[in-house]
Amino acid sequence: MKFAPFVFANLRRNPLRTLLTASAILLAVLLVCILLTMPAGLDGFFERVTNNTRISVHNKAGIVYQMPYSFTRKVRQLDGVAAAISQSWFGGAFEEEGRVSFPNFAVEAEHVGSVYPDYNVPQQQLEDFKRYRDGMIVGQATMKKYGWKIGDRVTLRSTVYPLNLDLRVVGEIPNSTPVAWINREYLDQALKSAGRGGLGVTGVIWARVSDPNRVNEIMRAIDEMSRNSESETATETEKSFFSSFFGSLQGFARIILLVTGLVALCIVFIAANTASMGVRERAPEIAVLKAIGFSRRVIFGTILAEAVLLSSVAGGLGVLVALGLTRMLHQASTWNQQLGPLASFMLTPAVLIQGLFLALFVGMLAGIAPSFGAARKPVVQALHEVF
Amino acid sequence: MALPLSYPLRNIRARFARTLMSIGVVALVVVACTLLLGLISSLKRTVVSTGDPMTLVVLRKGSGNDGSSQVGLDAYRDVRFFDGIARNVKDLPLVSPELVVQPFAYTKEGGRENLLVRGVDAIALEVHSDVHITSGRMFNPSSGEAIVGKGAMGRYRGAQLGEELQIGHRKWRVVGLFESNGSSFESEVWADVRELAADAKRIFPYSALRLRAATPAAIEPLIQRINDDPRHALEAQRETEYYEKQAESANTLYLLVVGIAILAGTGACFGAANTMYAAVQARTAEIGTLRALGFSRGTILRSFQVEAVALAIVGFAVGALLTLGLEKVIALLLGTLAFGSASFTTNVISLRIGVRDLAFSFVLAIVIGFIGGLGPAWRAARMRPIEALRKA
Repeated sequence: MKFAPFVFANLRRNPLRTLLTASAILLAVLLVCILLTMPAGLDGFFERVTNNTRISVHNKAGIVYQMPYSFTRKVRQLDGVAAAISQSWFGGAFEEEGRVSFPNFAVEAEHVGSVYPDYNVPQQQLEDFKRYRDGMIVGQATMKKYGWKIGDRVTLRSTVYPLNLDLRVVGEIPNSTPVAWINREYLDQALKSAGRGGLGVTGVIWARVSDPNRVNEIMRAIDEMSRNSESETATETEKSFFSSFFGSLQGFARIILLVTGLVALCIVFIAANTASMGVRERAPEIAVLKAIGFSRRVIFGTILAEAVLLSSVAGGLGVLVALGLTRMLHQASTWNQQLGPLASFMLTPAVLIQGLFLALFVGMLAGIAPSFGAARKPVVQALHEVF
Repeated sequence: MALPLSYPLRNIRARFARTLMSIGVVALVVVACTLLLGLISSLKRTVVSTGDPMTLVVLRKGSGNDGSSQVGLDAYRDVRFFDGIARNVKDLPLVSPELVVQPFAYTKEGGRENLLVRGVDAIALEVHSDVHITSGRMFNPSSGEAIVGKGAMGRYRGAQLGEELQIGHRKWRVVGLFESNGSSFESEVWADVRELAADAKRIFPYSALRLRAATPAAIEPLIQRINDDPRHALEAQRETEYYEKQAESANTLYLLVVGIAILAGTGACFGAANTMYAAVQARTAEIGTLRALGFSRGTILRSFQVEAVALAIVGFAVGALLTLGLEKVIALLLGTLAFGSASFTTNVISLRIGVRDLAFSFVLAIVIGFIGGLGPAWRAARMRPIEALRKA
């Protein structure tokens, strides 16, 4: 500890250089933290939203290919299926013409609770959803975005069907999902009264399997049931469904991570370079220190401490800035079709720790090489350079 | 008296390790910036460059994109004979009825994506003037054939000339490849509209109409006429406008990449400038000697500037070569890059480093060299020779 003033004095020796190095490290940590929120957001999404006993049944040809609605009942009646619900994309736009700002689907109100028990929608709200044909259950993220409260009335203009639906918010999904559910019955009747002959089809059937050990068996049974029909199905787990849904982003995420890696490398390089220059400049001084009897360990330690101190302060600041920035981004960002949960911008503690570790790592790496060299240099040789 | 040019250049050799470090740093900055810029320009090309100002997109009122729009046969028949639509040599109106479906397609790595398949007529190639078949031929109607865009070709299993592509409920034989100057059409597969409608079991045969106006002056009245037609509830807009709106939703992605580029660039510049700065500062004594020998401040400053810029140029050259190599490696490892579009389908972009991206990085490298070298050289040159010499 008594060497602390020495370390500080060394840091102050060339303030401009210290500042430049610190800014570089700060920016690197900031960048890495923000980028790491992307995969972290995806993982968080899976943890929050998916469930390993829930499976999706959809047309083998694609999500936009429909299945007959009656298939929902067949799935529901299958042995081992605890509950099943039909989900149809409504594509409702709120306020902005033709732009879907949060995903919304028509579902069967009476099956929401049994297929999504893990969403923890309060019982009373589920009852209201069944009772009011124009009811809508909305995810927390969307509730917050528009400042909706339970009881509010909103109109969604469908981008798929030529109709508007007047809806009333009756419930909230408390797990920060943006999704909203409307009553299938309501949409069906609206279509009929618009002279379009009811809904009749379903997009995706979500089923909850009662026994986690039988998931694979039941998935096979469902696909078997639709074999050779007009619309053969492909069944998969909820997690697999969402990971292929967001799968196309992976290449993109990889290149971004690659570039970040390069930048981090760049910064390690620079920090090492700067530290070694700083030490080389001080060679005479170090020789004097050694000549008057300071041990190698002290010299090694003070130089290393200098590098670590600089990088951890800069890194800590970087993490703080990242915290503020992601909070801002999180509030500003809305559900985004391109990025999905990648753009959730939630700084998890894990990401924070990774950022701090990066900074410390850079500091250590940049400090070790030059301090090692300085400590090992023979005194006589170093003194030669002084006199 | 001027310092000979060989002085700064020989210096590079004399302090090889440190020089190598400076070059390495500049090279890394160049690599990072060029890659990000390449990504940005590739994104922009795909998202923004799609669309022709003379072409109109006709959708059902209220639907945001042709993926969710529906247009009936009767509407097509009526719109087709509106005034102001261009006609081809056979005097047929240039109106292309199109159906968009988004079936699963499997990438070569086995991933599953929603592919945009556009059902079209033969007239589509005349309406979309920037789309041209580069090898093979146009599909024949009702014979299970399809043509594949350049982006989709590299990405999906079976999307090669002569192979079979599993889409929807059946296989389609690929008989042609097309390009469209990098626009988002290249991420699509085109097939016969009637065949596609039958396969997808669509009640409405079409999603949207694309049509070419005869003259620029005809565009506004045509849009008016289509929007006001009470029979079909349609909405017309310029194709450029339509893709601009689609691009809006890709803006977050775009902004994100730009933000990353700015952060990374700034961080790297700090570092590189720092390296340059340190490299010059370490030579204060030498500068003192030069001053004592009678070289003027300006001369010394210029000489150091030459050295720093020379270093930056070498760094840029190394970085540029690395980037071009990396571009190939990325293309090899990742194939094409993809991002979701508004209609839930996949937009395929290929990372291409353009001359502009390299030019920007070049300027950046020079600026880093210049600024990084200027400060310390200025300070050293201003120092009293006696003080500077004391350090020798």
